[in-house]
Amino acid sequence: MKISLREQYWNLSILGLVIILTVWRSNQLPVFGSYEIKTIILGIIPIALLAMGQSLIIIGGGINLAIGAEAILINCITAKYSEGSDFALSLRWALIGIVISVIVGAITGWIISQSGIADIVVTLATSFVLIGFALFIQPGPGGGVNLDFAKYFIGGEDSYIAPLLVLFLPILLIWLPLQRSRLGISFYAIGSSKDAAFLSGVNVARTRVSLYAVGGLFAGLCGVSLTAITQAASPFAVISNTATLNSVAAAVLGGVALAGGVGDLFGPALASLVLYYIPTIMLGYGIDPAYSQIIQGALTILVVLVGGLLRARGKR
Amino acid sequence: MGNLLEIRAVAKNYGPVVALRNANFTVAPGEIHALMGANGAGKSTLVKILTGVISGDAGTVKLNGEEIHFTSPDNARKNGVAPVFQDPALIPDLSLRRNLRLTNTNITKFEEKIAYLGLKINLDELVSRIKLPILRMIDLARALAHDPKLLILDEITAALPANLAEVVIRVMNEEKARGNSVVFISHRLSEIGEICDRVTVLRDGIDVDSFNTSEGDEDRIVSAMLGSKITSDESKNRSVSTGKEPLLAVRGIKDGDKLVDIDFEIYPGEILGVVALEGQGQDSLFDILAGEVSAKAGEIHFSNKKVEFSHPADAIKLGISYVPGDRKTALLPQRSIRENLALTKFRELRSWNWIHQKNEDSLVDKAVSNLEIDTRASSQVKRLSGGNQQKVTIGRWITTGFDLLLCFDPTRGIDVGTKNQIYKLLSGLSAEGKSVLLFTSELREVQLVCDRAIVLYNGKVQGVFNAAKADEELLLNAAYGRN
Amino acid sequence: MKLKINRSIIALWIILALTFLVTGLVDSYFFSIPSIGITLQLAAPLGLLAAGQTIVMLTGGIDLSLAMIATGAAYIVSVKSESGLFISLAYALIFCVVVGAVNGIAVGVFGVNPLIMTLSMSAILIGVFTVGVSTFLRGSSRMPDLLITASSGLILDPITWPLIIWIIVGGFVHFSLTRTGFGRVIYAIGDNAKAARLAGVKVWQVQIAAYVSCAILGGMAGIMLGGQSGAVAISLANSYLLPSVAAVVIGGTSIMGGMGSYSGSVMGALILSVLSYLLATLNSSEAFKQLVYGGIVLALAWVYSSISERK
Repeated sequence: MKISLREQYWNLSILGLVIILTVWRSNQLPVFGSYEIKTIILGIIPIALLAMGQSLIIIGGGINLAIGAEAILINCITAKYSEGSDFALSLRWALIGIVISVIVGAITGWIISQSGIADIVVTLATSFVLIGFALFIQPGPGGGVNLDFAKYFIGGEDSYIAPLLVLFLPILLIWLPLQRSRLGISFYAIGSSKDAAFLSGVNVARTRVSLYAVGGLFAGLCGVSLTAITQAASPFAVISNTATLNSVAAAVLGGVALAGGVGDLFGPALASLVLYYIPTIMLGYGIDPAYSQIIQGALTILVVLVGGLLRARGKR
Repeated sequence: MGNLLEIRAVAKNYGPVVALRNANFTVAPGEIHALMGANGAGKSTLVKILTGVISGDAGTVKLNGEEIHFTSPDNARKNGVAPVFQDPALIPDLSLRRNLRLTNTNITKFEEKIAYLGLKINLDELVSRIKLPILRMIDLARALAHDPKLLILDEITAALPANLAEVVIRVMNEEKARGNSVVFISHRLSEIGEICDRVTVLRDGIDVDSFNTSEGDEDRIVSAMLGSKITSDESKNRSVSTGKEPLLAVRGIKDGDKLVDIDFEIYPGEILGVVALEGQGQDSLFDILAGEVSAKAGEIHFSNKKVEFSHPADAIKLGISYVPGDRKTALLPQRSIRENLALTKFRELRSWNWIHQKNEDSLVDKAVSNLEIDTRASSQVKRLSGGNQQKVTIGRWITTGFDLLLCFDPTRGIDVGTKNQIYKLLSGLSAEGKSVLLFTSELREVQLVCDRAIVLYNGKVQGVFNAAKADEELLLNAAYGRN
Repeated sequence: MKLKINRSIIALWIILALTFLVTGLVDSYFFSIPSIGITLQLAAPLGLLAAGQTIVMLTGGIDLSLAMIATGAAYIVSVKSESGLFISLAYALIFCVVVGAVNGIAVGVFGVNPLIMTLSMSAILIGVFTVGVSTFLRGSSRMPDLLITASSGLILDPITWPLIIWIIVGGFVHFSLTRTGFGRVIYAIGDNAKAARLAGVKVWQVQIAAYVSCAILGGMAGIMLGGQSGAVAISLANSYLLPSVAAVVIGGTSIMGGMGSYSGSVMGALILSVLSYLLATLNSSEAFKQLVYGGIVLALAWVYSSISERK
C-alpha cells in the first residue's frame, strides 16, 4: 500500500513543520524531558482522534459537524457510569461507549443517505440532539473514572509510552487495515466520484453508512480518552463546537481535500500537533492566545487556497 | 446452439424523451457484432440497460436463454458481461491497484492481460495521471481479466492511436476464436466491414436493420441510419450571400484537444450548419466562440475586428449568444420560465436594482406567446418538456437581442412539432438579418434550415457545402472522412 | 410547483400556530400582549441574522462567521460611541463590508469552500476582538442610549422599535430578493452557476455582494443584540449562529441554493423564538431544549426534502 506522491509531500511538509515546532517548544521550556513530551501527547490525543474521524468522513465525501458532540456524549456516558468504579467496570463502559458511538455514527449516515438532506444540515441538527443527550445523562461537570484504567491512557509518572500508544494504535489497528480493505477503498471511491464508484460495484448508500459509523468509532475513542485523561465529564456545547471546528481545520491542514477522495489520516494527526503547538508556543512567550486563534484561522484559509490552486494546476 | 444474448422489445423513457422505443438485439456466441446508429439513436441507453447501469421500462434481456436483470456493471461483470464504457469506470483519485481491488479483479490475471495487450503499466500510478487512451486499454484489460463471455466495447477505437486500435482488433478476434462474443460500438464505418461479422443499426430507439457484413456494405449501414429521404418541398433553397463581409471569421483555432486548425466564416443573415461525428471537438468550438473557454491558438474576428473573450459576458456584449446543447447547462431548473427568460438582462451591475415588473411581464409574455410555449410563465422550468425548455433557452436571447446565435444541437430529443417551430424561428431570425451557427446531429436539418454547412473531422473543417448540395449522404460521408 | 410551495408555507403556518398554542397553554401569560411583544422583540435580531444567512444560503453557501461579525459590529459601536453615533455606526459598517468582502472574494474569486472560509474567519475574528478588547478597542462596552432604545424600546404593546426595524429591514430584504435584479442573480447562481455564467452573469460579483449584504445584516443584528443586553461581550451572538442557519433551513431554503425565500426564514425565526419561550417556560433542562431544537430542525428538513425532491 502506497500513499500517493502528493500526499507524501504534504505529510513530509507537515512533519517538517512539526519537527521545527517541537524544537522551538523544547527550547522554550527549561526542561524538555519525558514529562513534557507526555504532556504534549496527552494534549493532542483527543483532537487528533477527532481529526482522524473527521478526515475519514471528509475523504468519503461527507462532513460531520456533530463529531465533537459525539465525543462529548461518549465522554459523559463513560465518565458518569465509571465514577468510583473498579477497573473492569470502567473498561466495560469504555467499550459500551465506543459501541454507542459507532451506532450513532451509523444512524447519522443512514439519515443522510435516506433523507437526501445535505450532510451539513443533518449533522448540524444531530449536534444539538447529541449534546442534549449528553446533558441529559450528565447535566453538569462531574463523573469520574477508575484510576487504574486511566493509567492505561495517561501512563506512569514520566513515561509517555502509554499516551503514544493511545495515539498510534488507532492508526495501526484501524486505519492501516482499513486502507487496504475494500471498504476503505470504497470510502475513497465515493468521495472521489460517486458515479465511477457505482460503476465499480460500490453500494454507495451502504458505504456511506459505514463511513459515518467508522467516523463514530474515532469519536468514541476520543470521548473515552477524554474521560481517561480529564477523569471527568464535560458536557459543554462550546467544547464540542470548538472541537468540531478544530477537527475540520486539522483535516484541511493535514492535506484532506474538502471535495473528497484525497488524503489520509497521518496528515491530520500531524496537523493536530501543529494546531496544538501554535497556541502553546505563543503562550510560552506570553503572547495573548487570541493571536494564535487569528493565526490558526488565517493558516487554514491559506492552506485551503494553496491546496486548491495546486490541485487545479495538477489536473491540467 | 442458442443465442448468447437476446434483447427483446426493450423500451426506456427519460421523462418526455423516448430513448428506446422497441429495441431488439441478438448476439450469437463467437460473434463480433457491431451496434450502430446516429447520435441519440439509443445505443448507449441499450448498453446501459444491458450492463445494469439503468433499468429498462419494458422488454426482456436474456443471456444464454435465461432472463437477467443486472443491478450494476459490477454485477454484470461477475456474470460474464464485461462493459468498457466511453468514460472509464475508474476512480480518478485512487491508484490503479486500489481500483482493481474495488472491482475484485485478480491482479495477476490483470497483469497478464496488460502484457497481452502489449502495455507496461505501473499499478501504483494515480488514475487521474494516466492518459485517456491508456485508461481505456486498462479498462479493457480489466474487463478481460474477468473472463467475459460477452465483451462490450463502446467507441473504444475512437480514443486510441492506430497501434493500440490494432491491438484491440486483435483481442476481439482472439475472443471470437475462443467462442466469446463482442458488441462493438463505433462510428468508424471502415472498421465495421473489416472486423465485424454482423451489424445492427438503431434509429430513433428501434432496431431498423440487422445483417451479416458479408451481405451488406457501408452504404447499407448509412442508409439504415438515415432512414427515408425527405421530400423536396420541405427543403429550403437559399442562395449563399457572397460579396458581403463575414460577420464572424475564425482562423486557425486550436483547443489543445480535438480541434487542430479550424477555419471558417459566417455571413450576416446566414444560417451556417456544423456537422460532425461525436467527439470531434464541436462542443469545444462552441465553448470558445461563446467566450466560455479560451482557444490555445487561433484568432476570432467579429465584424472585422479581432476579438478575445475572457468571460461569456464579453461575447454577449458583442452580440454573440449561446444556446448550449445540454439544457441542464443553460437553464435554472428550479426557477420559473420568466426568470430564465429574463436572466441575461441582469448581467450588468447597474441592472441589479428594481425590476419594472410590468415591462418585464409584457416582454416575457410576448416571448412566451411568440415561441408558443404552452405553459404559464411562472412554472418551474424543470417541469417543462424538452421542447419547451429549448424554446426558453432560445427565447432568452431573442428578448435580449444578438447578431450571432450559437445553437448547439437545439432539436435533440425534441418532438417533431416543436422542431418545426424552432426551424421557423431560426428562419425568421435569419430573415431579420441575424446569423446562426447551428450544430446539428440530425443531418437533414442542414437542408431544412441552413444556407451552408461545414463538416468537422480530425480537427479540421473537412468541407464547406451549399445547403442545396448538402444532402444527408454527402454530409455523412464527409463526417466520416470519406471523400 | 405552485402547489408544492403552498404546502410548505401551510406546513410552516401550522407549526407556528401549534407552537404558539402549546406555549400559551403551558403559560397563559404568553397570550398576553406584552409577552408577545417581548417575544417579537427578541426574535428581531434572529430575524436579521436569518436574513443575511438566507441570502448567502440561496447562493449555495453559508456564513458561519456571522455571529462574530454581529458581535464585532456591536463592539465597535459601543467602543467608538464617544466619537458620536454616526461615526461609530460608520466604523461598524466599514467593518461589516470589509469582512463580508473578504469572505466573498475568497469564495467567489478563489473558490474557497464557504464552510471553511467562514469558519476560519470566525476564528480570526474571535482572536482579533479578544486582543482588541484590551488594546485598540479599549473603551466603553456600553451601547449608546439611542441604540438601546432602538433595540428594545417600546412604542405601543406589542410593537417595539426592534420589531419596526425588523419589519423595515426584512421588508427591504424580501423586496430585494423578489423584485430586483440582484435577487434574480442570487437565485440564479445558487440554482445553476454555470448557466448564469453562460448568460453573462459574473458569478464572483454576485458572491461578493451576497457575503457583504449578509455581513451588514449581521452587523445590524449584533447592534440590536448589544442594545438589548446593554453591554457587549465576546459571546454576545454565539448562541444565535446555529439558530440563524436553522431558521433558514426550517423556512424551506435549500442549503444547495437556488430555492427558498426570506419569508420562510421569517417563519422559521418566529417558530424558533416561540419555541425558546416555550422551552424556557417549561423550565426544561438545557438537555431537553437542545434535543427538541435538533429534532425539529431535522424533522422539518426531512419534510422539505420529501416535498421538494430536488434531485
